[in-house]
Amino acid sequence: MIACVAVVGHQNNPLYLQSFTEADDALKLHHIVHCSLDVIDERVNNPKRSVLTLNETFLGLLFPTESYKVFGYLTNTKVKFIMVTTDLDVKDADVRSFFRRFHAAYVDAVSNPFHVPGKKIASRIFAGRVSGIVKTFALGTNG
Amino acid sequence: MGREVAESCVDGVIIEMVSAYCKRFYGTKPELAARRIEAIGYQVGHQLIERYTMERPRFSDHLEAIKFICKDFWSELFKKQIDNLKTNHRGTFVLQDNRFQWLTHISIDPSSDNSEATEDPSVSMPENKAAEATSTHLYFPCGIIRGALSNLGIPCAVSADISNLPACSFVVRVKA
Repeated sequence: MIACVAVVGHQNNPLYLQSFTEADDALKLHHIVHCSLDVIDERVNNPKRSVLTLNETFLGLLFPTESYKVFGYLTNTKVKFIMVTTDLDVKDADVRSFFRRFHAAYVDAVSNPFHVPGKKIASRIFAGRVSGIVKTFALGTNG
Repeated sequence: MGREVAESCVDGVIIEMVSAYCKRFYGTKPELAARRIEAIGYQVGHQLIERYTMERPRFSDHLEAIKFICKDFWSELFKKQIDNLKTNHRGTFVLQDNRFQWLTHISIDPSSDNSEATEDPSVSMPENKAAEATSTHLYFPCGIIRGALSNLGIPCAVSADISNLPACSFVVRVKA
């Protein structure tokens, strides 16, 4: 069950932040996303060649906290996608396909001529697509 | 999910955009028109590169990114690749397209090709005007290249060189 997704620009400015839990811990999720940005920077600047291919977009599990897992994805344009999930046994393939669909939705949202690059993504269609992707992810892992 | 548009429509829109900006909107200020057209190209390149680098692993250095522009990006835009890439390995790249699609509709006046190296300004006037008019059509592709490269994290300046039409060279200077 995905708790939160975030899109962060290349200057670590937040472009989109959406939490999917009913509880009121949005702030804690934002904090987790913020901390994971540091992990991404570290991974990209000091690549552990044995663990991660140098140039892959999918960064994998960033760090596990006590009840969440955080996954990262870095695009060619240095935009980072972060996904926080409460599922403790997600399959790698599911997460990769989640990020692929999320990337497609992001590209469509950014191709909007009225979108100003660097500002937050304000498209309702994007928000709708993201919740759709999150729902299918939840169904996929429960099925 | 994508709808298709005839290529000639895109060519027509671009030619009309250049004409509208140069003659109607900024008729008295050609430098402003050039900057506006280049800015439009910048935004287009910025958004296009996001779409075309979707499935790819990240680039390891500037040369990889420029090669991507020469091959995949150019094929997506013009169904052909850049014909020649030269670099001085110090931040300058020259991308040469031997038959740039958006210049194919511009006629080359054969009489002005026999340049006799006369310094007579009245003779070189029409040639200069033709070159000027042609260069206004190149601001847009220069902007596209600049927008694409800066979204990949490579700030640069792009200019075009039209010494022999229909071949066209784009000179990319990476800002250190």
